[in-house]
Amino acid sequence: MIPLALTFIIDLLALLGIFIIISLSLNIEFGYAGIPNFGKLLAVAGGAFFIGAVPGRVLAYIYGLLRKYDYIDENVKVMYVLGKILGANPLMSMAMLIVSLILAAAVGAILGFIASYPAIRLRGDYLAITLLAMAEILRMIGYNYRDLIGGTVGISVPDPFRWIGGELRLALASSVIMATAIIIFIYVELLSRSPMGRTLRAMRDNEAVAEAYGKDVVRLRMKTLMIGSAIGAIGGALYAFLCGSVTALGYDRVCYTFWPWVMVVIGGAANNFGTLLGATLFVTLRKLIIFYKSSLQPFLPFDVVWLEYLLLGIALIMVLIYRPEGIVPEKPTHTLSKKRLEKIRKLVEARGA
Amino acid sequence: MIPPMLRDATIFSCLLALLSTGLTLTYMTTKVPNFAHGSFAAMTTYITLILVKILKTNPYFSIGLGFILGAALALILYQAILKPLLDRGASYIVLMIATIGYDMILYSLINILADYLNRTYKISTRLYILKSYDLKIFNQPCIFIVAPVMAVLAITSLYLLLTRTKFGIAMRAAIENPALAGVVGINVNLTYAVSWLIAGGLAGMAGALLPLWLMCNPDIGARLIVSVFAASIVGGLTNIYGAFLGGILIGMAEVLGTGYLSLTVGTWIAPYRPIIPLTIMAITLLFAPRGLTGISLRSLRRFRR
Repeated sequence: MIPLALTFIIDLLALLGIFIIISLSLNIEFGYAGIPNFGKLLAVAGGAFFIGAVPGRVLAYIYGLLRKYDYIDENVKVMYVLGKILGANPLMSMAMLIVSLILAAAVGAILGFIASYPAIRLRGDYLAITLLAMAEILRMIGYNYRDLIGGTVGISVPDPFRWIGGELRLALASSVIMATAIIIFIYVELLSRSPMGRTLRAMRDNEAVAEAYGKDVVRLRMKTLMIGSAIGAIGGALYAFLCGSVTALGYDRVCYTFWPWVMVVIGGAANNFGTLLGATLFVTLRKLIIFYKSSLQPFLPFDVVWLEYLLLGIALIMVLIYRPEGIVPEKPTHTLSKKRLEKIRKLVEARGA
Repeated sequence: MIPPMLRDATIFSCLLALLSTGLTLTYMTTKVPNFAHGSFAAMTTYITLILVKILKTNPYFSIGLGFILGAALALILYQAILKPLLDRGASYIVLMIATIGYDMILYSLINILADYLNRTYKISTRLYILKSYDLKIFNQPCIFIVAPVMAVLAITSLYLLLTRTKFGIAMRAAIENPALAGVVGINVNLTYAVSWLIAGGLAGMAGALLPLWLMCNPDIGARLIVSVFAASIVGGLTNIYGAFLGGILIGMAEVLGTGYLSLTVGTWIAPYRPIIPLTIMAITLLFAPRGLTGISLRSLRRFRR
């Protein structure tokens, strides 16, 4: 038996991990490269839709279920059989999880490549609106094209965490998500300290100068969107696995575009620790409101969800007006440590001599 | 008689034109795509609901009230949020996010209002339509006359304001070059505030008329805003007459396009309706980024030769 407080924390960590992943990907695109990606939903929904559409079908094909059942119409039956197989087979479950995540990242990168078509031609608010529109189109296809992920009803996803059984499932899921989030955080932090990270900042601050110094802005923008979208798709894929199902209606632009933006802006753009802090504050606040929902509800003549929106909207505007650079502002780029510089100097001298 | 599809298209495109004209007007002043513009309209749909269902009066009283409420909402956004940010030289992204934050606040207020009305007066406040409460003129629903009249009236009075009055000329000067306008003694802030007021008012008017023809829900603003952006971008975002034309074009294309496609290709295509404005917008951005009004006649003539 897991105590209630611990369940709350485990649940919180799972959601937190997902939003850390998504907001970090936005931080690369917006914070470092200055691309106003108001279509973050495109990558997230792309990853989630991929998980809804492909791994289940592949497994059903391997175990010969597609001959007996229609994948969409008899999804429940297929999932029942697959659940039994995966529940008895931890190795298979984890292999499926890892392979699906890698493929979801690839799908995200492809979507990022497509999104870079307008991103290298348009700038500023025009680009933001175009990316937003692209995300809406993907969502609409997911919602209306029934063969992909079951349209309005949604679809179940094979559960890679089932084998551990019962109450531990959520704990396993949230540790996998957290581990992925930590790996991605380290990757993004290393990326931002690398020469590429500094080039991205240069491009963001003055594109013409970066170009004059021989930086290929077109390639950089394309690369950034592909990396960002791949990471965003991993976030969406993990969320699909966590929920155990994918519904196109659940992927809306408020939750997966605007809220990551809020996290990045509140925490501080172009600072990964700021993004981390923003995501933590935001997700914890939301979770607490949901947690105390039942005790607040009798006092309010409306649904508590709207109180959440109201508070978040006000908090966002307050931060924008009173602390526009975010809670943790951007710091100057880390250069090499003095020790390394000395070493390099010696090496150069030795070679010169 | 008038085919129903054409009637649908006329009403929708006139309301869309009202919305996109306002959006473009605000964009020209503060250079920010206002994400809360749809929610101004969504808010005023509830005025009509209250008038019809609770006060049991004529739904068309809501046009004036809608204008006032929409104008007030827009003015608050400009004066309390955007103005302080602009004074500090905030980037367009910060302004955009601020409008999104304001949109979140409005959206929650709309839902709170909807829940409150639903619980207190026991009326349906979600997915409601007031078509049956509309009046009839010449065997036509009154909105079929009112929507085009309002649209034409709005654009004509805007034209007269901007070209025939001293204040309108000051507005244009302030939009063209705020610093220079300030030097010659124009109160730039006042002209911008009035632009926002007019834009919010037009959105409020459109919102007040919406429930008489379309199914309304608290999220109607979020659904409409995509078409409104599309219409404004097709119009070029720098010209209110272009935005008006863009609104008519996008509205017609959306309703008639979906109608004809479902007749010819099959009804399965109907839910994809919002893809039409988005596609037109994408084509405009990639091939004529300055919009309809940016295409000069000379370049067209050269193209023909």
